[in-house]
This record gives sequence, C-alpha cells and structure tokens, in this order.
Amino acid sequence: MNRKLPVYLLIDSSGSMNGEPIISVNEGLRALLSALRQDPYALETVMLSVITFDRDVKEILPLTAVEDVQLDDIVPPISGPTHLGEALEYLIARYHTDINRKSKSSKGDFSPMLFVMTDGKPSDLQLFNEKAQEIKQLNFASIIGCVAGPKAKKEELLKFADPVVSLESNDSSSFSAFFKWVSDSITAGSRSGGLEVGGANKLPPPPAEINIVI
Amino acid sequence: MSSNIKTVQTFAGDTISYYDEIIGSGTMKDVYFTTDKKHVVAFYRDPLEQNALERLKMITGAYHKGIFEEKNGNYWNNLFCWPTDIVFDGKLHGVVLPKYHQQYFFEHGSINNDFLAIKNREKEGKWFSSPTNRFSRLDKREWGDWKNYLRIGLLVSRAVRRMHAAGLAHSDLSYKNVLISPSSGNACVIDVDGLVVPDKFYPDVVGTPDFIAPEVVATTHLSKEDEKKVLPSRLTDRHALAVLIYQYLFLRHPLRGKKIHDMDDPERDELLIMGEKALFIEHPLDNSNTTNPSLARPADKFWLDTRKLPYTVAGPYLSKLFKEAFVDGLHHPQKRPTANDWEQALIKTIDLIQPCSNKECLSQWYVFDNSKKPICPFCDTPYKGQLPVINLYSERGEGRFIPDDHRLMIYKNQSIFPWHVDRNITPNERLAPKDSSRVGYCIFHDNHWLFVNEKLTQLFDATEAEEKKKIAIGDTVELKDGLKLLVKYNHSARLLLVQLV
Repeated sequence: MNRKLPVYLLIDSSGSMNGEPIISVNEGLRALLSALRQDPYALETVMLSVITFDRDVKEILPLTAVEDVQLDDIVPPISGPTHLGEALEYLIARYHTDINRKSKSSKGDFSPMLFVMTDGKPSDLQLFNEKAQEIKQLNFASIIGCVAGPKAKKEELLKFADPVVSLESNDSSSFSAFFKWVSDSITAGSRSGGLEVGGANKLPPPPAEINIVI
Repeated sequence: MSSNIKTVQTFAGDTISYYDEIIGSGTMKDVYFTTDKKHVVAFYRDPLEQNALERLKMITGAYHKGIFEEKNGNYWNNLFCWPTDIVFDGKLHGVVLPKYHQQYFFEHGSINNDFLAIKNREKEGKWFSSPTNRFSRLDKREWGDWKNYLRIGLLVSRAVRRMHAAGLAHSDLSYKNVLISPSSGNACVIDVDGLVVPDKFYPDVVGTPDFIAPEVVATTHLSKEDEKKVLPSRLTDRHALAVLIYQYLFLRHPLRGKKIHDMDDPERDELLIMGEKALFIEHPLDNSNTTNPSLARPADKFWLDTRKLPYTVAGPYLSKLFKEAFVDGLHHPQKRPTANDWEQALIKTIDLIQPCSNKECLSQWYVFDNSKKPICPFCDTPYKGQLPVINLYSERGEGRFIPDDHRLMIYKNQSIFPWHVDRNITPNERLAPKDSSRVGYCIFHDNHWLFVNEKLTQLFDATEAEEKKKIAIGDTVELKDGLKLLVKYNHSARLLLVQLV
C-alpha cells in the first residue's frame, strides 16, 4: 500500500573532485543517509540511488530502501572528462525501468526527485544538451542542481534543473550544508505524500551558505 | 554547554536567557534552550504579521488563562505544550514554551544497538504508526501495549475536547504535533501557536497530509477568496483526531486501500484518495477500497488484513464512532464524532479490556468481544479460566435500576474506582482528589475471584433482595455468577451485577 519516493543522486566523480571535494561528498552522503534513517517517513517511502559520472558512468547504488543502503566511498580517477550527458542518458534508462507507474494491482510510485552535483562542465556537450531536454519531459517532482567551486558552470545545469544552487567554495562545510538541505528536501518530499497543499510540498529554504542562482 | 548566552525581554516583562545554539528546527521556528533548563525559546525565522502577533498575544494571554487557571487547570500542563510568553529580540519574535518531558525522547531507540541512531530523539507518532516502523525497527521496550495506545487516544481526545470547548481549533493535528510516549502511555499536544479562532484568526496551514479532512483536500486548488474553499476548523480537527486514534490502534490509514483513481498520475491519485473520492477501507457496503495485504511487507500483512483485524475489535463504543467518522461523517463533517464522544467511548472501552496471556503477543491487551469464549484478536490466544464481568446499573427512582451501558472486565489486581460506583463521577480533569484513588480491587485466590472492599462504607450483597448483607471495609466477597452488589456512594446508588463467562 505504500507508495515509494525514488530519489536519484547524480554525482560528479571526475578527477577534479579529488582531495577535499570528494572527501566532503563522501561524508555528505553518509550524513544524508543517517539523517534519512532517523526519519520515520523517509524510512517508509524513500528509495535512494547514487550514480557517479567521470569518464564512465557508474550506478554505485541501485534504487534501494534507505534502511538497506550500504555505501562505499566514491573514488575518482586521477584525471579525465566529465560525462554528464552520458549520466543523464543512463538516468533516463533507469527512470523507465525503475519507476513503477501503471499497474493494475499496486499503486504507482511518487514522481521521483533528482539531485545533480558537479564541479565542472559537461565534456559531452552535444549529448548533454539532447538529454537535458529529454529529462525535462519526464515526470520528476523536482530536479535540483548544485555547482560546487569556482570552475563550475551554472548555465549548463539550468537547462534542466530548478533551482540550481551554487557552493562558492568546495570545502567540507559548504558540502555538509548542502547535503543537510538535500536531506531536508527529501524528508519534506516523503512527508508531503504528493499533496500540493498550501506550500506543504515546497522545498525548505536552502541554508545561508548556498546561493540560488535563479 | 559552551555556547554563548543571550538574553531577551518578554512581553510580560521578564528577562529570559538562553543558549545561542539551535537545538531543533520546525517548519517555521528555531528552538533554543533557556538557561533555567525548564523552558525553550522558539524564534520565528520570518517576521510575524500583525495578525499572527495578535493571535500569539491571545494564546499566551486570555486563552492560556482560561484553560490553565481554571480549577484543576494544572492538569493541562501534562497534555499541552502551551506557549506562555512572547519575546522580541529587535528583529524577530519568538515564544517561550515548557521543555518537552523526558519521556517524549527515545530511551532505547531502535533495534540492533540502535542501528538507526535515534536514541534521545523525539518520539514522533509516525514511528509507532506503521507495523514495520514499530515492530521491525524500534527496540521492544519502546513499543507500548494496546492499553497504552487507548490511553494515548483518550488523552489526545481530552486535550482536543478542551481546546474545542474554548472555541479554538488546532488546525494541524498530526503525528508531528502530538508527542506520544507509548511505553509510558502519555501524550502531549504541541504547536498550538497556529490555532484557529473562527471569524477571528484564520489557519496558516491546511494541515499535514494523511490528516487533512477530505473537504479541505478537495478544495486546496481553489484560491483563498473562493467561497467554496474549506479551511481547517473544529470539524476538520474531528477528522484528524479520528485518523490519529485509528492509526495508533490499527497501524493503518483508514483511507489507504487498494483503489486507484488515477493510474497515470500518482500525485493526483493521492489527492482523490484523501479528498473528493475518499472511501473508508472498511466501508460496510462498498469494499472497492479494501486493503490488499498480500502486497504488503511481512510485518505489515497482519495489520493490513481488515478481515482478520476489523475495526470492530475495538469494541462497541469505539466501533460506533469509527463508523460515524469514516462512513457517515467522512464527507459530512457535521456527523463526525466530537472529541468528547471519543473521550467518553475510550473511558468505557478501557474498562472492557483484558490482558492477553501470551507473553509474546504484540498488543498484550484486547477488548472483550462479548462472546462466551474470548480470543485475543492479535495472536489468537484463547482466554483461560473463568472471566468475571461486572455490569453496571444505576438507580433512577426508588429501587429501579437501569443499565448504564457500561461493563467492567475483571482481571488480576483490577481496581474499582469511584466512577464505577457512582455514575455522576467521570474520570477527567475535574475529578476531585478524594475520587481519584481506588475503592477496592479484585484478586484471584485459591481458584476464586474475590473483591476486596477498601473504602466503601455502604456496600451490600443484594443478591437476595429481601436479605441484604453488608460487606465491611477490609472484607472480601467472592465474585460468583449472578452476584448483585449494591453500593451507595455520595447520594447515588449503583448495582453491580456479576457475570462469569
């Protein structure tokens, strides 16, 4: 009888994330997971998936109930491109197979949430542009972008994400604030039960350290 | 605590000092501990509108006074977390509140050495309202038994009854705004700063999903100015209260069945399930929204099976109200039971429960089903031995005793209270201290059920109408089938007719 709320995290694991950024992301993911486990609504509804992208796209966590999630640290390659377009293409395929929509016997899932985080710009721009348009046609409840650090390009994520938040620096404190916000957003999503009631389904305001680009 | 201490002036003219470290955040407020360790200050993150400030002044002023300064007003301190004063730090307003009692924080948390790390966190109702959350995730010592959930329902009903009597509506009764402690059987209504006064203070929010009344859900899309838009009120509180009680007792939502209204759009489907098309999963004449336990998780299967565990296991008084709330009154708000109805029904139901002899039973208590062979509906363990039931009759006119529609199940160490021997006494906040302790108790001794008289000066065995025998204080009487006990207490008389099942 319980509808599921699928949540996808797309995380940049390209070479530039090495060092403090990826350490912060790994910590952020762990904090996110424990926050969701402390929430009785999220435990009942949220399914979490983590997909990383660098030269390759990897589904390091297939859609899993938060209680059962086992997360390994993300280890980026030493260098290489950022295949965000390819990641979106992979995500679209997952969307079509993962999401339980029409079924006579059981209720469909809630519209999924998507969080995309990158510290650079897509290397496969043509594919990216194409898939960004395609993603917008799908039924996501919200798509939130996050650009971290000085080199990140907000314009690209704005093509399909709203809002896009910007972390001025990619140090651990801004990452942890961001992941706290992500978990608050997911928690709010799992509580709202899809009801758009008087702002109940609105995302919580982002923390002070984060700029909303638009 | 190493954080800085700040001070702020209250409207009442006091100075409050608090630690400048957020201990918790709600949807609208950030909360800080005061240095006296007994209170918290909750600052609104956004500036308050004039109307909201006026409302707070009423809540901390006249309404607080009306409820807490009445006779026995202290009683309400356990049932409400009510703001007592307003502060202003030059930019933002806040309220001063009593700190939550320690029992509302997890003492043991989750299983496997608290694998979810929830020890010392608030016991939000949602933890106890799905079978998987309660039985597969929480430590056994946190579960609470069915008797305690009945008591929690009773206390919440009583709190809501008091608010409604004052002309106030809570407007957002939900798991989040009612703290419960199933292990100790207590409850406390919080977040009363958004309460609604008809024609004066309007609701800020429409409520929390799962608890919003169907007529409110069905009109959420309308603009504020639209006359057809339904806003939270005492009538919608009644719906939320019924859902809370049902959910605590049966661990399922009364409107979440198998029926699908929109195959393509789950969000719209939810709106219909909870709104326009809302249908009780146990509707006696329309089973199209019944549950489908075969699709449920293992721990949920039993509780979702409404054939195995229908709402009627809650006994006659509560069943009547569940029907009124979810069949007759679901789309007819005026027909919904009042908080007072729930309170009275729960008081009587608590007299109908008996312990289950199965130590592993998840509920530990169940309501007597009026049959000759009672069986626990939660674990199918039959009752062993003889079961005494006391039927209560009150004197209306000389020597005429009319049934009170009230029975009392006897179990080991069951107490008899003044409200069992005098129909004019109701166990609630108005109970006089002299009436709050027991007048006698029952024991099972040498294969006999005995009643021990502790305080009744005028207790008679009236089985033989012509030959009443006085039972003195300290004496016992065996509870035999057909025994009639006559009690004169205050100025009324009650007859207790014993049945042995």
